[in-house]
Amino acid sequence: MRSLTDNKTAVALFAGVTLVGALSACSSTVTTADVGSAETTVPDATATGAEYTDGTYTESGNYTSPDGQEQVDVTLTLESNVITDVTVVGNGDNPSSKQFQGEFINGIAAEVVGKNIDELSVDKVAGSSLTSGGFNNAVDAIKADALAE
Amino acid sequence: MPSPSKRFDAIGAPWQIDTADPLDPEVFAAIQRRIEQFDRTYSRFRDDSLVSRIARTPGSYPFPPDAPPLFELYRRLYDATAGAMSPLVGRALEELGYDRTYSLQPTATRTRVPDWHEAISWNGSELTTLTPAVLDVGAAGKGYLVDLVAEVLAEHGVRSATVDASGDLLHRGDGELRVALEHPLDTSKAIGVVTVSNEAICASAPNRRAWAGLHHILDARTGLPTDRIIATWAIAPTALEADGLATALFFADPASLAEEFDCQWVRMLSTGRVEHSPGFTGELFL
Repeated sequence: MRSLTDNKTAVALFAGVTLVGALSACSSTVTTADVGSAETTVPDATATGAEYTDGTYTESGNYTSPDGQEQVDVTLTLESNVITDVTVVGNGDNPSSKQFQGEFINGIAAEVVGKNIDELSVDKVAGSSLTSGGFNNAVDAIKADALAE
Repeated sequence: MPSPSKRFDAIGAPWQIDTADPLDPEVFAAIQRRIEQFDRTYSRFRDDSLVSRIARTPGSYPFPPDAPPLFELYRRLYDATAGAMSPLVGRALEELGYDRTYSLQPTATRTRVPDWHEAISWNGSELTTLTPAVLDVGAAGKGYLVDLVAEVLAEHGVRSATVDASGDLLHRGDGELRVALEHPLDTSKAIGVVTVSNEAICASAPNRRAWAGLHHILDARTGLPTDRIIATWAIAPTALEADGLATALFFADPASLAEEFDCQWVRMLSTGRVEHSPGFTGELFL
């Protein structure tokens, strides 16, 4: 068994996890619903011509964070060169590690690209409450005071 | 698809009610009476409200019959967020300048937000305060009022309607709505689109109620605005739940909220990344 990463930085480890996400995103038989939002920049196993033995593989990745050693365990299932299941278990103790590991474990953190609302066919927009009356006046008054000073 | 719209301002925000037929003036009058009744109970921005009386004098105060769902939701979210989401942030908001006159001038005073059990006790119909507690139900109150307005509509036979209180939206009856999720840093853009039908979607973000480097979403444990999350959306059966959850998503681990509530959620981190619930049915522009 080969470790995904040993004593690398958090960035390197997370790059590794992103690779896992990308592989599953490219496959056609993804069964893990919560993985697949990663960028598809890495070709899948079939495209590289490599052959992998079917089965379930578990690896641990260690890295040094500013708060010390952290570890994540990755388990994935391969069938006909396709990843059909991925589980990531984080063991981070400090809040930052928990946050970053949590984002990857859920496979749900990704950068968004905004689209112009004008160009979308929507009935409604859900954003923070618009302000009316008093709040706007107060902000205007403060701006006016600031200009006068 | 409901089309005629009634627009008006209430409790500090613009509202819009869409119905299949134009809203009967009598029904609209009933809605306005309902909103006034709610405001007279829960607004800390008016001197004659129940909440303002409570803030002046500790004691036991009977609440109207609409109170139990609101206090019960607050209690569940208080527990689910380990005390971060609290109806007791009123004084902290005042001290930061989010007060009755919108002074928007932070004072030098910072009073610790009391724990629930230190300050209030709710027995299902009566609230007992032990200190002059400044209640603020802003984190779920507007959503709840959206539900109550929809109830008034239903009582008058209007069962297909969309009640949009700006940021808190409830769809009832026929059809569905395609809703854009507004980008908190560029309000001309959306980060995604989701379809809702017979449910509520509520959004929360500090972007429009910010002043002097501060905003109105406070972590009760610190008494200060939060900064890790910059926008949240929650979809739930009622606007009360969706509104409360949208605020709770600023503080809590979403997985634990999803265990406790039947909801979908999306939130945007200050890093620009977006998280969503595993079962999110909408599209995100990733």
